Amino acid sequence: MKAIEIGRLLRASTTGFVVGCRATPLTAPSFGALVRVPLEDGTQIFGLIYDIHIDDDGLVRQLVTAEVADEAVIADNRQNRNVPLEMSVLAVGYQQNERVYHLLPPHPPLSLDMIYLCAEDEIRDFTAAGRFGYFRHILRNKDLPVGELLAAHLQAAQAAHTQAGNHSWIIDATRELITLLRDDYPTLMNVIGALSDAIPEAMNDE
Amino acid sequence: MGEIFQIGYVVGGGLKENLRVRLAVPSQDVQEGAFVVIESGDWLFYGLVTDLQLGATDPRFADEQSETRFPPQLARLLHGQTLFTNLVVLPALMMETGPEPGSPEYQAWVDEIESGLRPQPHPLPIKTVPSHHAPVKLASAGDIVEIFGKPEEKGNFVIGYTREQGHPVCINLDQFVQRSAGVFGATGTGKSFLTRLVLAGLIHFNRASVLVFDMHNEYGLDDTASDTGERVIGLKTKFPARLRVVGLGEGAQIRGQTPDFNLEIAMRDIQPADIELLTRELNLRETTPGTLESLVATHGPQDWFKEFKRMKVGTTIENEDGKRVPAPDSVAFWANRAGVNVMAAEGLHSKLGRMFRLPYIVEEPAADTVKEIVKALESGQHVVLSFGKHESDLDYLLVSNLLTRHIRQVWEQRTNDYRGKGEQEPRPLVIVLEEAHKLLNREMAAQTTFSTIAREMRKYYVTLLIVDQRPSQIYDEVMSQLGTRISGWLGDDDDIRAVLSGLAGREALRGMLARLQPKEEVLLLGWGVPMPLPVRSRRYNDEFWVELLGKKSKKADPDEILRDLGF
Repeated sequence: MKAIEIGRLLRASTTGFVVGCRATPLTAPSFGALVRVPLEDGTQIFGLIYDIHIDDDGLVRQLVTAEVADEAVIADNRQNRNVPLEMSVLAVGYQQNERVYHLLPPHPPLSLDMIYLCAEDEIRDFTAAGRFGYFRHILRNKDLPVGELLAAHLQAAQAAHTQAGNHSWIIDATRELITLLRDDYPTLMNVIGALSDAIPEAMNDE
Repeated sequence: MGEIFQIGYVVGGGLKENLRVRLAVPSQDVQEGAFVVIESGDWLFYGLVTDLQLGATDPRFADEQSETRFPPQLARLLHGQTLFTNLVVLPALMMETGPEPGSPEYQAWVDEIESGLRPQPHPLPIKTVPSHHAPVKLASAGDIVEIFGKPEEKGNFVIGYTREQGHPVCINLDQFVQRSAGVFGATGTGKSFLTRLVLAGLIHFNRASVLVFDMHNEYGLDDTASDTGERVIGLKTKFPARLRVVGLGEGAQIRGQTPDFNLEIAMRDIQPADIELLTRELNLRETTPGTLESLVATHGPQDWFKEFKRMKVGTTIENEDGKRVPAPDSVAFWANRAGVNVMAAEGLHSKLGRMFRLPYIVEEPAADTVKEIVKALESGQHVVLSFGKHESDLDYLLVSNLLTRHIRQVWEQRTNDYRGKGEQEPRPLVIVLEEAHKLLNREMAAQTTFSTIAREMRKYYVTLLIVDQRPSQIYDEVMSQLGTRISGWLGDDDDIRAVLSGLAGREALRGMLARLQPKEEVLLLGWGVPMPLPVRSRRYNDEFWVELLGKKSKKADPDEILRDLGF
């Protein structure tokens, strides 16, 4: 299966990076998706998309106020825009010598490195490694919409695991989240609320 | 060690405040009073669950009914992590188990024990605590045997079964008879049945003689249970040769049956102390001791009662001067001569009227039954003294105290002979006292022989088995000497306090005593048992007798008896 490229790196730090891409509906990755950045030395950095934003430019501002917007003009503006669609990614781990670490990457990716969307087997490999250590990076970031991000991620990961016949992954993940958050009532309630919206069917059976 | 059933792990606590154990199974699987074993390093710790507490990592998790908001699985996961039950475990004993069996260190450890370099491991009173996260299990049958002894070993008597798993729990009768013991419980909680069990065990074991003061005629002959109306087998039925049933008074009938012999008391056996003991019962005045002393001085220690009984009140004669003076057979005549206040003497005479009328106090008994009872006890028989229709407190106080005084003298003599002259060792004797608070209350304890027995007669081979429903009324000094205490349900705070007096972990055991199931459960307590433990008490029924005596003791066929007798 061909790896899905989603864009190139705009800027980066140890804890995360921003990816820019053209806004095409087919390749646009979703909120909470797991992405990877292969580096030249063979290391792969993994991250979760936690924000997608589209900045305006002068032309968009003019078009918004124009009385009649031509379909062709709108399509042209979307495909050939000057300002890229930006995705903020939270670094959650890396892979080195076939081994997955749920730690921050030793060094960030470089500008214009290609970012790929993780396939289902890659999601499974990353999320099943260790004991959910990457939850730390998500929970540490109080500015993130933690509940929503976790719900979106668990939904996607659960789908990947269920497809491979592993039904217990979501239970273990939820249990781990509760353990980590049991002293933080508001956050835990937030996460549990989001989870029960996102994957009610996985939580209904015995 | 039998089946392993882990129920949780240690999360905190200490010796003073008890251990806290996080429960890993549903709370319904463990009850208050459960006997648990904690493995930690080379040691096993034995303890008792005294409380179960619901907890939450944050009270808000407990406050909110989240199961109605979230999908069931999610709610379950949430509750599993944030809501929990803690056990409070009263640690009681610990025992060294040595290194992992099979390892070289274990072999070295065993060798050290066998060569005598290291003491044989046995349960010790608790002196340290298990480590954090040490696994906690419900005790297996093996653990209970380790602490309470093997049921099949001679001298061990199964008193009941653990509540959860029904493992048999023994008391050691050898130890039981070495110290005074008590059976307590509010009325209707199965005290009499429990006492029957213990008596059957004691008689069967036959290490000590048993003398039962059976105030309500319950133990000797067959009876009908007061609540269920079922037939209750008496001890005489099962131990016809070993047990003598004695009725009080000539021609006494116990529940329509004739006892083995009857007890009559000779007037010469009654001493002033016996009367003083009845001060409250007979409402005697403070002049009584003086009057009694004068009576003994005039008539001697053997005849004073007889003579006093003969005296009449108010009889007068005319003297030479034509004046009416007290007749020579009157109380007043004697009082004037002995220099005793006439009113006081006449008052005492009228108050002793109740005693004068007792039919079993006779001038010359047909046989010296007191001696006969002592002889039976000495020769290894057991005696149940049934009070028959003489069920008043007066009868009970007088007879039990008088008889016991005799017995005490005999046993003291025998012990001194054994110690001094190397004669035969006296046979241990257990005196069973019903309604013990009547004889052992604060006012009475100083005067009766029983408190002396409870305090020091252990050295003279006599101990008490106290059966009572108001332990708070029993003198503290006596209560504190009781080695084994077996208690059924008690409701009164004072009674509970009395039963627990002098024991470690009183606070923890208090609630347990108030929550015992009446008729079903009893709490074993005191330093006569290795550790406190509530048990489901053994049933007193045919099955019990088969277990105790074996099959052959089933009711004998009359034909068989006749054949045995040669007909």
